[in-house]
Amino acid sequence: MAGYRADEEYDYLFKLVLIGDSGVGKSNLLSRFTKNEFNLESKSTIGVEFATKTTKVEGKVVKAQIWDTAGQERYRAITSAYYRGAVGALLIYDVTRHATFENAARWLRELRGHTDPNIVVMLIGNKCDLRHLVAVKTEEAKAFAERESLYFMETSALDATNVENAFTEVLTQIHKIVSKRSVDGGGESADLPGKGETINVKEDGSVLKRMGCCSN
Amino acid sequence: MSRKRTENGSESGPATSHVPVDRFGFLKQEHANSPERFSKSKTTSSTDHDREERKVRKWRKMIGVGGSDWKHYVRRKPNVVRRRIRKGIPDCLRGLVWQLISGSRDLLLMNPGVYEQLVIYETSASELDIIRDISRTFPSHVFFQKRHGPGQRSLYNVLKAYSVYDRDVGYVQGMGFIAGLLLLYMSEEDAFWLLVALLKGAVHAPMEGLYHAGLPLVQQYLFQLESLVKELIPKLGEHFTQEMINPSMYASQWFITVFSYSFPFPLALRIWDVFLSEGVKIVFKVGLALLKYCQDELVKLPFEKLIHALKTFPEDAMNPDTLLPLAYSIKVLFRFRKVNVLVKFP
Repeated sequence: MAGYRADEEYDYLFKLVLIGDSGVGKSNLLSRFTKNEFNLESKSTIGVEFATKTTKVEGKVVKAQIWDTAGQERYRAITSAYYRGAVGALLIYDVTRHATFENAARWLRELRGHTDPNIVVMLIGNKCDLRHLVAVKTEEAKAFAERESLYFMETSALDATNVENAFTEVLTQIHKIVSKRSVDGGGESADLPGKGETINVKEDGSVLKRMGCCSN
Repeated sequence: MSRKRTENGSESGPATSHVPVDRFGFLKQEHANSPERFSKSKTTSSTDHDREERKVRKWRKMIGVGGSDWKHYVRRKPNVVRRRIRKGIPDCLRGLVWQLISGSRDLLLMNPGVYEQLVIYETSASELDIIRDISRTFPSHVFFQKRHGPGQRSLYNVLKAYSVYDRDVGYVQGMGFIAGLLLLYMSEEDAFWLLVALLKGAVHAPMEGLYHAGLPLVQQYLFQLESLVKELIPKLGEHFTQEMINPSMYASQWFITVFSYSFPFPLALRIWDVFLSEGVKIVFKVGLALLKYCQDELVKLPFEKLIHALKTFPEDAMNPDTLLPLAYSIKVLFRFRKVNVLVKFP
């Protein structure tokens, strides 16, 4: 939370999505980041869940609006609608299950099919606390991330390793793109985005996109 | 390294056996999904007890020995049966009555040995997916909590059997909550055939479209729900449009798990009584009743708070004796017999 500011006060609102196979820990990463909670007895996510967190990024107050999606392939019929308008994505695999890493390429294709090419994507190897069970080598994942120009981090929602870092890094990179754009005068407007304005990398007609304005 | 809760540092350990549970078997410390808050306030007086006993006697008469009189009674007095079901089936007879009204008992009798065949001799491509979700289905219920315990084994068997029985559906997340709910009231084999009766449509419209590739029936129901909200609760419908609230943000679970995913258990059971007897309309009615009941609060909320509120309804709204009468009073007419839903999947 950002100091004394009211909940609704922020400079930017960034929409993020969490994607990846079922059971890799998406919901727990989200609850660790937004509520500092981890639930060993969590239920499978059905459909989509949602949470927000306001945090400081390069001196600006940024509100992350995060959509957590069901991992099973069949749910993409519902969840892919939530990719639209996202400016950042965390593509998560489970370091103890190699198949979840192999599927990252498919998730990425799916994501890129629905979003702007400038979307900031971070590949995340979760459950890194289970060191003795690791099935995906860090180098292997790093190489994939480099090939696909993704950011990369290994996290543990359980012991909180890198969770804050991962989200903050994604938000920082989005902020960099946004502020660079306004400095370059690229796009329709050379002005800095207004207070509390949602930054969508690409404006589209998505019904799910939320144009933020300081609600009161 | 052992996995433990980090917030409070307490060992979570394997299934904790001495944690108090409510009358339905859910751990009491769990807030969500725990019916405790409703039953606790109600001290069962002797008059309540008498009333319950009279109710059970009436029901026993209606059913006959092992369900022998049921069909006869339903044919003679359909309205009495319907009214009694809406008031709630006595818990001790629930499992039997569910099998009678869903048509699953007939399926079981027509298919001897089939379930065993499916469980023992067949293999399914969904086995790993099912296993991964077993411990994530009703994790706060004593029956399902123990790793590889009888609850988890039964749940696995039913889901695996279904994924073999209907390979087009296979296993879809959410089915576990339905199977789990059924397993609390009947044997594996009975639960399996009830699942078949529901998905294949033994008595009402088949549910399998909820789980087919593209989730076509989920999309259709969400679309219909949105129209109904606009029509029946126009102020809220308009607020939803303004705040860009889409029903997939809050109601997918209502349809996919028929309210068994996160609703207080006593309410879920009462909904299931009516769902099995009257079909999917009750899901719409309950959903609309909830929205209607809470609309004065909901229309004040901005997007984020609204989403939160739509997933965590207040206790008084979830009281079956308040919510269900309101739900019954809502008339749901489907004007859209055939809905063109854009189905996209890779």
